[in-house]
Amino acid sequence: MRLLALLTFLFFCGLSNTAGEYKCGSIECYEFSADTKNKESLQRGLSAYMNYCYGCHSLKYSRYKRVAEDLAIPLDLYEKNLIFDGSKIGDLMHISLKESKAIELLGAKPPDLTLEARLRSPEWIYTYLDTFYEDSSRPYGVNNKVYVNVSMPHVLEDIQSELSEEEYDRYIADITNFLTYVSDPSAETRKQLGIYVILFLLIFTAFAYLVYREFKKDLK
Amino acid sequence: MTTETKAKRFLGWVDFRFPLTEVFERHLSKYPAPTNLNIWYLFGFLLIVVLAMQIVTGLWLMMNYTNSAEEAFSSVEYIMRDVEYGWLIRYMHAAGASAFFALIYLHMFRGMMYGSYQKPRELIWLGGWFTYLILMAEGFTGYVLPWGQMSFWAAQVIISLFSSIPVVGEDLATWIRGDYLVSGITLSRLFAFHVVLLPILLIAIVFFHILALHEIGSNNPDGIDVKKHLDEDGVPLDTKPFFPYDISHDIFALGVFLIIFCSVVFFFPTGGGYIIEYVNYEPANPLSTPAHIVPSWYYTPFYAMLRAVDFPLFGLTAKFLGFATMMAAVAIFAVLPWLDRSPVKSIKYKGILSKTFLGIFVVSFFALCYLGMVPPTETKALLSKIFTIGYFSYFLLMPIYTRIEKCKPVPERVADV
Repeated sequence: MRLLALLTFLFFCGLSNTAGEYKCGSIECYEFSADTKNKESLQRGLSAYMNYCYGCHSLKYSRYKRVAEDLAIPLDLYEKNLIFDGSKIGDLMHISLKESKAIELLGAKPPDLTLEARLRSPEWIYTYLDTFYEDSSRPYGVNNKVYVNVSMPHVLEDIQSELSEEEYDRYIADITNFLTYVSDPSAETRKQLGIYVILFLLIFTAFAYLVYREFKKDLK
Repeated sequence: MTTETKAKRFLGWVDFRFPLTEVFERHLSKYPAPTNLNIWYLFGFLLIVVLAMQIVTGLWLMMNYTNSAEEAFSSVEYIMRDVEYGWLIRYMHAAGASAFFALIYLHMFRGMMYGSYQKPRELIWLGGWFTYLILMAEGFTGYVLPWGQMSFWAAQVIISLFSSIPVVGEDLATWIRGDYLVSGITLSRLFAFHVVLLPILLIAIVFFHILALHEIGSNNPDGIDVKKHLDEDGVPLDTKPFFPYDISHDIFALGVFLIIFCSVVFFFPTGGGYIIEYVNYEPANPLSTPAHIVPSWYYTPFYAMLRAVDFPLFGLTAKFLGFATMMAAVAIFAVLPWLDRSPVKSIKYKGILSKTFLGIFVVSFFALCYLGMVPPTETKALLSKIFTIGYFSYFLLMPIYTRIEKCKPVPERVADV
């Protein structure tokens, strides 16, 4: 039996090495680990998103109010500066760009990005934002290494030319952090609650073990 | 009159009209369980706990879920974001499905290892097998409900398998879908199955399974017939009452299980894509097929067998033969009690052939589980064929190898082990 187990293990090890696709399109993903605890980064990411991405990419499963509360932004301030179309603070984050208009302008419908970080991974988004390059064969003169032949223009081009490389990396890290947060807004609450749940269960199980041991003595 | 005597009188009043105390003692407090039960005997109890959890979390999910193609996906996100603790309920339900299958596979393997399906426990085994069938249907219908890309395309692939059946196939698949393609009509009927029909069947058959078990009594790792030696009250000597002896280790096991389960729910809720697949975070889109359509991990052994049969035979299409092989792989568990001709129950006392074939079965199952997850290549297709043969050889050669091998004598009493 043990030999069989070992053989199975070796078999899986052998097979798992054969996969050879890139997770980020034509290249390997850049190393990136999202930090959704850093409120300042999330706030900067939100503001960058609202200014550069939200024109085309809705966050239609998320509500303004939830984002404001989770990112510790006062509601009145949020309403004044980050809601552009007169929506109510409790509304879902729809955009005003119509689908037909978007297809006319860009040739494709820009996807909703609420769940993008879960669908693709934070590394994917970060690498994507960092790998636009000039390509005159494309309609907007740019192409992307992660999403090859993407229909999207490089909207952060001006920002990228203004900032140093390090500053730009931080800028897109902020946006990625924000998108990671918005894809799973309960993540921090969940992990905090999880610690208490596991602590309770450890104590419970310890007592359950003592009871079990006590009754086991009877049977001997 | 004290409270105690009042309670006793009330109990007497009930017992006169309904056998409450008798049922309670027979099925719970005094149920005699063999003294040599080991860790493999915990999964039945844990399965009941998971079943209860799935029913409760499912009920709460249903309160906020919308079963239409237009709103299913966003209603799930509504649960995840706007419903109080909706995320917890959904993650528990999703991880609960995986836990259910992990536990039922362990539970089934226990039965195979210790010959728990053998006479006189054939009906218990059949009840369990039927539970597994319904659970597979529950898993499939539930997986479609979030209406993401994988939900849609998994439904498309699975239902289209029926169209491979000669003559009636196409009409049958259309009848199941209620449409020419998987659509909102399919979604709402699968929802109805998932929340009404299948749970009712599941509860009924689990009830039958436990009733049949309590009639015959539990098997044990040595396959000793404990009913041969009774005490003066007719209780088998090598048993102990469920309360407090079994319940105490069941509760301890529950604690350990919940630590693992809650670690997943709170810290790895998507299970690295095995519990909630990442592709399913994109709403269903009939016009764009995902690169790899993969079923949930608990179906992948059967999916690998479906793909392993890639050749037509006797005028039947490869697709139909693959489908038939897959169905046979699930169905064959039902006849296991009649394939085993061994005079002993437990693998401990069976011969080297039984041990070898059980080993082949386990390796084949895990290998097929893996092969069903990855994109096919030529080598992997060949491996799938080999392991499919390995899987079936355990069952089909059983009448031969259990008859010719030499078994060890089974002890009379647990103390003699």
